[in-house]
Amino acid sequence: MQGISIILIIFTSLFFTGILIRTKSFFSGRKGPGVFQPLKDIWRLLKKGAVTSETTSFIFQIAPSIYFATVFLSALLVPFGDQPGLISFSGDFVFFAYLLALGKFFTIISALDTGSSFEGMGASREGLFSMLAEPAFFILIGSLSLLTGHTSFHQIFSTLYMGMGSHVEQAVVALAALVLVAIAMIENSRMPIDDPKTHLELTMMHEVIILDNSGFDLGMILYTTNLKFAMYGALIADLFLSPSIPIYLAIPFMLFIQVVFAISAGTIESFMARFRMSHNPQFIFVLTSISLLIFLGALLLLGKIT
Amino acid sequence: MILPYLILAGLISASLFFNRNKMVTYVLLCAFVVLQFTITTVECSHMGISESGYFVADSLSILLLLILSVLCVPAFIHSIIFLEGRNNSAEESNIYFAAMVVLMTSLTAAYLSSHIVITWIFVELTTLSVSALVFHKRHAKALEATWKYIFVCSISVTLVFIGILFLSMAMHAKGVTDLSYDTLITQAPFLDVFWLKLAFIFIFTGFTSKLGLVPMYAAGIDAKDNAPSPAGALISSVLVNVGFVGIFHIYEIVSHTAVVYWANKIMLISGILSLFFATVYMLHVKNIKRMLAYSGVEHMSLVVIGLASGGIGPYAAVLHIVLHSFVKPALFFQIGQVHRVYQSKSIYDIGNYFKYNVSGAMVLLFAFFTVTGMPPSGMFTSEFLIFRALFEDGNYGTLILVLFLLTLIIWALGKNIFKMLFLKPVHFKEINIVRINPLESVSQFILLALVIYLGIAPPQVFVDLLQGALINIAH
Amino acid sequence: MTAILLILFLISLLYIAITNRLNSFINILAFQGIILFGVAFIELIKLDFTNLLFILLETIIFKTIILPAFLTYVVKKNNITRETEPFVPNFLSIVIVTVIILISFTLSQAIHDDHINKLFFIVAVSALFTGLYIIITRKNIITHVMGYLVIENGVFILSLAVGSEMPMLLNTGILLDIFVSVVLLGVFANKIGEILQGHDIDQLRKLKD
Repeated sequence: MQGISIILIIFTSLFFTGILIRTKSFFSGRKGPGVFQPLKDIWRLLKKGAVTSETTSFIFQIAPSIYFATVFLSALLVPFGDQPGLISFSGDFVFFAYLLALGKFFTIISALDTGSSFEGMGASREGLFSMLAEPAFFILIGSLSLLTGHTSFHQIFSTLYMGMGSHVEQAVVALAALVLVAIAMIENSRMPIDDPKTHLELTMMHEVIILDNSGFDLGMILYTTNLKFAMYGALIADLFLSPSIPIYLAIPFMLFIQVVFAISAGTIESFMARFRMSHNPQFIFVLTSISLLIFLGALLLLGKIT
Repeated sequence: MILPYLILAGLISASLFFNRNKMVTYVLLCAFVVLQFTITTVECSHMGISESGYFVADSLSILLLLILSVLCVPAFIHSIIFLEGRNNSAEESNIYFAAMVVLMTSLTAAYLSSHIVITWIFVELTTLSVSALVFHKRHAKALEATWKYIFVCSISVTLVFIGILFLSMAMHAKGVTDLSYDTLITQAPFLDVFWLKLAFIFIFTGFTSKLGLVPMYAAGIDAKDNAPSPAGALISSVLVNVGFVGIFHIYEIVSHTAVVYWANKIMLISGILSLFFATVYMLHVKNIKRMLAYSGVEHMSLVVIGLASGGIGPYAAVLHIVLHSFVKPALFFQIGQVHRVYQSKSIYDIGNYFKYNVSGAMVLLFAFFTVTGMPPSGMFTSEFLIFRALFEDGNYGTLILVLFLLTLIIWALGKNIFKMLFLKPVHFKEINIVRINPLESVSQFILLALVIYLGIAPPQVFVDLLQGALINIAH
Repeated sequence: MTAILLILFLISLLYIAITNRLNSFINILAFQGIILFGVAFIELIKLDFTNLLFILLETIIFKTIILPAFLTYVVKKNNITRETEPFVPNFLSIVIVTVIILISFTLSQAIHDDHINKLFFIVAVSALFTGLYIIITRKNIITHVMGYLVIENGVFILSLAVGSEMPMLLNTGILLDIFVSVVLLGVFANKIGEILQGHDIDQLRKLKD
C-alpha cells in the first residue's frame, strides 16, 4: 500500500490546475475551459519537438528533465495518512526540501543560461523568494518533529493531525496548515507573490524564466508545476488526516481536501491583487515569524514554557 | 490629615480653574499656601505614623515637603508677576494656577506615599499638571515641548508600572501581596534576583524622566526651557525630587539584596553618561534656560553617583538634592527677570545685566558661585562628600573623570554668566527697558542664603532628618 | 485557550510591524482589545464580580471601542496622511519584531518561578518592545500614540500574569491615568494639527541646542 500516496498525487495533478482555473473563471463570470483542459494543453506540448536557442548550452536542455525528476522524487517521499511514501527514512524532510531546491536551482541556471536579461531578473526574484520561504518550511517541519518526537514525514504526519489533543495543538496544526498553503503558493509561483496571468516581462517571475522553453520541455515544466501543487496539497491533507480513518474513507477525504485547496487557491487568485514586488519579501518573512510562533507553541505543548 | 488635604487642595484647584475674579484667585492661592504649611507642620509631628493605609511621613518626605512648602510662596509670587506682565486671558492664568496647585498637591502626596503604586499614580498626575504649565505660552515651541514631555513621561511612567508588576511578581512568589515600601524592604532579601533586577532597571529607567538622567532626560530639558520661569523653577526642583524619591525607594529595596552591586553599576553608568551629555551640551548651548536645565542634569548625575558609591555617598546625595532644590529655583526665578529685561533667552542678546538690574545681577553672581559648588556654598560640602565617597569606594577613574567634566561645566557656566553680567549685548536698544523692582530678588537671596546656611552650619534637626532618610539603606 | 489567544496577539504584533495603513493599525488595536477581553475573561473568572466586570468593561469598551473610535476621529479630523510613514523598510521591521519575540523568549528562560505563566511574560515583553520600536521608527505622531497603546496592551497582559491582586482602587487609578494620557495625547495631536499644519515628526524638531 506504500504506492498509494504517489498514485493519488499523480491522479490529483491531472485535474488540480483545471479546478483552479475553473474557480477563477467562475468568479470572473466566465464559463471557462474544462477541468482537463490544462492537461490537454500539456499533452499537445509533449507531442511537439523542442526548439532551443543557439546561445544556450546543455544546461538549458537538461534543466526541465531535472526539474521534473526532483519534484517527482520528492513526491515519492510524501506519505498518505498512516501509509508511508515509497521512500521514507528519518530526516527525509531535509531531503525533500533540498530536492526541491535542486530543481529550483536548475530552473534558475537554465534561465541564466539563455542570456536574456528578463530571465535573469525573474530568476533572481524566484531565487530570493524561495530562499526566504526555506527557513519558514524548516522551522515549521522542525517544530512539528519536535512536537511529535519523530524525524520522518511519515511518522510526523501519522502522529500529528487536526482534531487531536488540546486546543493549543489544534491551533498549532491550523497555523501549520496556513503556513504550508502560503509556502505552496510561493513555491508554485501563484497569486499573492506571483501572477501567472501577467503579460509583462517586467512583472513576471516564474513565467519569465520559462519563456525560452518550448514544446516537450515546456510541457514537462507545466506538468511539474501541477505535480508540485498536488504534492503540497497532499502534505496539507496529511495534516488533517487522522490515521484511524479507514483507507476507503481516507482516499475521498484526501481528494476532497485537494479540491478544497485548489478552490481556495483559485479564490485567493480571484480576489487578491498581486503584492507589490517590494512587499513580497516581508510577506514571506512573516511566514518565518509565524513558523517561529508555531515553534513556541510546540515548546508550550512540550511543557518547556509553563 | 492627608485625605482632607487632598480634598481641600482639589477644591482650591477647581475653584481656581472656574474663578474669574483676580482677588479671589489671590485669596485662594493664600489659602493653598496656608494649607501646604499646615500639612507640612502636621506631618512633621506625625513622623512614622501611617495614614489612610497608604501614606506615612518619613524623614525624606519631611525634608522634601519642607522644600516644597518653602518654594511654593516664591513660586506663586513670581507666577503672579509673570502673568501680570503678559496680559494673558483670565482663562489661561486660571489653568496655570490650577495646574500649579495640582502639581504641588500631587507632589506632596507622592512624597508622603508609603505604597509604590500610590507614588506611581501621583507621579503620573504630576506629568499631566506639568504639561498644562509647559503649554502655557501656547506657541509652536511650547506645543512641541509639551508633546514630547507628555509622551516621554507617559512611556516612562508605563515603564515604572512594568517594574512594579515585576516587583509584585517577585512578591507573589513569596505569597505576599502588599506592595508598601516597608513590606518590600523586609521581604527584599528573599525575593527572586531575576525579578528584582528587571524591576530595578524598569523603575530606574522610568524615573529618570523625572530626575533628568540618561536615558530619559531630553523631555525634561525642553519642558524646563519652554515653561514659564516660575514653573520651570518648580519643574527643576520639586518635580526632580519626586523622581529622586522613586529611585531612592527602589534603591532602598535592592540595597538589602545582592542585586545592589549590579544596581550600583547601572546607576554609575547612567550618572556618568548624564554628566558627559550635560558637559557636552553646556559647552555649546546658547540658550540660558536650557543651560540651567543641563546644569540640573549635571547635579542629578552627581546625586546618583553619590547614591551608588556607598559609604558617605547616600548622605551626600540627599544633602545635594536638598541644596539643589534651593539653588535651581533661585536661578530660574532670576532668569524670569532677565527675560523680562531682554525679551530673549539667548546669551547673545543678554549682557551688561549689572547696568539694568543690580539686585538681579547680584543674584546671578551669587547663584553662580553657589551652583558650581564653590565655598561657602553648601553644595561644596555635598559635592566634596560625593567625591570622598567615590574615593573611598576606590573608584579613582570615575572620580578623575567626574572632576574633569565638572571643571568643564564650571568653565562653560562661568563664561556665559559672566558674559551676561559684564559684557555688552550685541543688538540691544536701551529703550523701554523694564525696571525690575529689587524686592523681587529678595526671595532668591533668601534661597541662596539657605543653601549657605544649611551647608556650613546645618542645624541638628536638619542633620537628623538627613540621617533619618538613610535609615532604610543597608550598609 | 489562553495560549491560542496570546499567540494570536503575537501574530497581531507581526502584522503591526508591516502594516502601512493607519486604519488597519487602528483595527489591529481593536482586535487586540478583543483578545485581551478573552484572556482577561478566562484568567480572572474566579475574581469577585465587580472587579471582573470592571476589567472586562475596560477591555471591551475602552480598548476595543472608545480608543479606536477616538483615534479614527483624530485621524479624520486632522486629515492625517493615511500611511504610518516608517523610517525603515517594512522587511526590516518584521525581522526586528521577530527578533524581539525571540529575545523575550530567551529572557523568559531565565525565570525560575513556577507561579508565573511564561507565555504571558513573553507576549508582554514582546508587546512592550514592539511598541517602543514602532515609536522610534514611525514619522507620523499619531502612530506614536498607537505604539504607546501597544505598550499599554503589553502592560495589561503582564498585569494579568500577576493575577490582578491589586485592589480596585488602584485599578481605577491606573485606568484613569491611561485614559487621561491618551486623551491628552489626542488633544495635543489636534493642537499640533492646528498650529503646525501637519503631523510629521520632522516639524517637532525646532527645539535644539
